[in-house]
Amino acid sequence: MKISVLAPAVLVACGTAVAAQEWKTAPPTAADWAAMAKLPDFTGVWEAPTVGRGGGARAGGPPPVPQLTPAYAARKRELDAKNTDDTEAANCLPTGMPAIMGHPYPYEFLMTPGKVTIVAEAYMQVRHIYTDGRPLPADPDPTFNGTSVGRWEGDTLVVETVGFSPLVTIARNTPHSGRMRIVERFRLTGPDTMTVQTTVTDPEALAAPWTTTRTWARQRGWTIREYICEENNRNFIDSQGKAGVVLDNPGGTPAQKE
Amino acid sequence: MRSLAISALVVALTGAASAPASAHHAAAPVFDMSAQKTVSGVVKSVDWTNPHIWVWLDVPNEAGELETWGFEGMSPNFLARRGWTRTSLQPGAKITITFRPLRDGRPGGMFMTGKLEDGKVLTNGGAQQ
Repeated sequence: MKISVLAPAVLVACGTAVAAQEWKTAPPTAADWAAMAKLPDFTGVWEAPTVGRGGGARAGGPPPVPQLTPAYAARKRELDAKNTDDTEAANCLPTGMPAIMGHPYPYEFLMTPGKVTIVAEAYMQVRHIYTDGRPLPADPDPTFNGTSVGRWEGDTLVVETVGFSPLVTIARNTPHSGRMRIVERFRLTGPDTMTVQTTVTDPEALAAPWTTTRTWARQRGWTIREYICEENNRNFIDSQGKAGVVLDNPGGTPAQKE
Repeated sequence: MRSLAISALVVALTGAASAPASAHHAAAPVFDMSAQKTVSGVVKSVDWTNPHIWVWLDVPNEAGELETWGFEGMSPNFLARRGWTRTSLQPGAKITITFRPLRDGRPGGMFMTGKLEDGKVLTNGGAQQ
């Protein structure tokens, strides 16, 4: 698949002209598909790192905590002092990056020419990692999972992600500055084991890069299941950050919260 | 000595039962994770739903009236990979549930283990014999 030009495309929607930049690629050829066989095979369903039997343990001890700059350490202390019980995830808001990669639910990797797609079962999230040589956009719209490109360094898939919504955090009560950057290194360490090294940097929020390493296990028999958080969510936090549980209407739709 | 060993085992087991991290919400603000209670009753219904299963249990209160208790478990996604099915607990089944009680005192909590009449045990980390 030959990379073509970075072409400005003009999209017309609802009578409004919207300028957008689009990375255009030629359709994959038989050679592109054949070349896939030479790549490490990440395809399949991987067990989440935090729990479970038969794999998923974190590599060595408890995960390190992010080291904050004085200004962001002060912000974290302010947020900690509010003593909120929980995060908006209790209200079913997806966690975004980097937390979305640390849930006790599996991940499926799909590999196609020029792209690796990660399906996170938790909150039914999808990450689109373009490996077709495109650069990261200079000023992407902020999103929960960011904008990702990937490249192969030997057998390691190196993914860089930028452009995060202010609604996502580096960690609990730890906002990012808008300049957060996440580099993930995915490498097979056995037929069905993978090491995921994640490094978060943020020149304003973090005093040092924050690196965590996880070991994942491939579960050949597993499929990704549906996860509609709103299906029967009886948990909530209110506008003051107080957590609660709805017991009304057992067996039916949970009643109004708060 | 023996009681010490048993305590250690109980801690190990309950620790394992509560080990599954929630993708969704923190347990400690709503459930008393240092407490463990047990209640027996009859399964009214089971919500085999995301983000959590809920087991609804009819339990007679002191006045002899049935009161419905609610127990939050992990998700069907998590449990189905660890031996549960949506019919593991059937309405009408008699069960003894061990749980982390709701902090506000309402009848219910976080499901830890359920022992059925036939001796079968269901845990929040997966089914056992």
